[in-house]
Amino acid sequence: MEIRILEKGYKKNPEFYQDFLDDKIADKEEYFSDETVNIQSAPEFPFYIAKKNDEQRKVLFLEAFNTIEKYYLSSDRDLHLDEQFWHSLLILKKRDFLLETYPEIQEGIENFNNIVVKDFDWENYIYKSVLAAEYISDLVTDETERQRYYEIIIDNLDLYNYMIKYEVFRSKQFVFNILTIVDELGISSLLKKKIVGRSDLATDTRIGRQVLFEFNKNYPVIMSPMMAKEELKELFVEYLGYYTSVEQLGALV
Amino acid sequence: MIYKKDANFPYPVLTNTSNSYESGGFTLNVDLKENTDNYRFDIEYEIESDFLKELLFTRKAKLYLVVQSKDNKFFEVDLNTMFIDIPKTRISINNRTSLQMSIQSKEEISFAYNDDINSFFKEFREEIIVSRYAILGFSNTVIFEGSSSRPFDLFERKVNSALSSAIKIELGSETIIIHYRDVDLQFVGLPMSGNFNNPYIYMGLQKALSRFISNYGEDGQVDLHDIDLPTDQLDAKLYRLMKAKMVFELTTETIDEAIYNISDKVIEKYALAVKGLATSGD
Repeated sequence: MEIRILEKGYKKNPEFYQDFLDDKIADKEEYFSDETVNIQSAPEFPFYIAKKNDEQRKVLFLEAFNTIEKYYLSSDRDLHLDEQFWHSLLILKKRDFLLETYPEIQEGIENFNNIVVKDFDWENYIYKSVLAAEYISDLVTDETERQRYYEIIIDNLDLYNYMIKYEVFRSKQFVFNILTIVDELGISSLLKKKIVGRSDLATDTRIGRQVLFEFNKNYPVIMSPMMAKEELKELFVEYLGYYTSVEQLGALV
Repeated sequence: MIYKKDANFPYPVLTNTSNSYESGGFTLNVDLKENTDNYRFDIEYEIESDFLKELLFTRKAKLYLVVQSKDNKFFEVDLNTMFIDIPKTRISINNRTSLQMSIQSKEEISFAYNDDINSFFKEFREEIIVSRYAILGFSNTVIFEGSSSRPFDLFERKVNSALSSAIKIELGSETIIIHYRDVDLQFVGLPMSGNFNNPYIYMGLQKALSRFISNYGEDGQVDLHDIDLPTDQLDAKLYRLMKAKMVFELTTETIDEAIYNISDKVIEKYALAVKGLATSGD
């Protein structure tokens, strides 16, 4: 499949949005750069996942992770981690799918900006899914175990988001190690709890994020991203102890 | 993550900018190469502290290379590591890529016998005990701005209706020139027309590399380590391209392999274009 890459300047552009709705993008040369890319096959998957209950969300994320793993990860990262590639693919090849799956796109440009030409960072569902698929499929070869790890990500999305948001933690090994520790200790729901009685912290602070924040504060004196899992686990429990009782966990470490 | 700030550490840290070590700094040099599937980072470094080198040697500390592009990749390296390969499927160097080395303690380290630190720290070095997993030194940061080198800059296309053949491949002074008798032969207007011209690219490279061998080789082979940068501009481009793509030996036997390595899958792309045309039914 040949995809012409859009020229920058299409984002938050009312005229472009109207041309998308009217299916006129392909007719207007000014929207295109000189670049084209070829990809063997580019099947659709849930490009946008929000406002769903937990069960629906899990199904959609799993579909996204598995589709990306199977069809996109063998391309160069120049492609599958590139904003313009994804936006071009969605606009030029997935218009019907988008309009059918996310009809709210037609209600206004804000929805279009938020669903279709969304900035390609940690808040973008494709970005989240590409990193998840890369990290897990590189490190976990067993198929059942891989699916299990995908589910761990989805069950700990708050923590995962926090890790890929911050440059210091956005690393395959660190993300994998933290997810493994959370799974081994069985503390997924504990980490989601809000911290109470600490007026020195921002309101609505969850334990899991705060533990990661401790890693962040201590970097680079303690270089956590390159630590082995067992080493990291000791520190994790230590930091967790700042915010909750870890006596029972201690026995598990 | 790459550490850029000149932070104050409560103990001596070996860097190129702080003066806590008197013995010197921590210098990293990186050379970036690529082939069809990988980027290769050739590394050369110098740790100017015998104390830290001894810690590495006795495994009380470890040495890491951090490669930061869209995310961070950590590699444990040892004194024998000459390069790190990263597949193109897992790193993009279109945007800035930064590399840095660092030394991390693996156990509690006493600085009591560290003779490399400055006189200020030496005064109380018996009391300096650094916890495990702590940073002991970090190198300068090596930065690669986005790369734009494209092998096709080697080529020019021209249309010449007076041509006595349908196409003609000429080795020009700076480029390989593909002359077409008719503009239609460039497949203009077909989807992926660029890729339909790839067989001509292939033929052009074959012709140019054959001449390269006859210009610089002995007995039909060239070792790129043995020759200087050619003064002929086209040959110079080929020379740089081959070195960048880690093709160091070129013989009449290995021309096809060399083309594969320097040309970013021209034939695969051609095949994909043909298949695309076949399935779209045009």
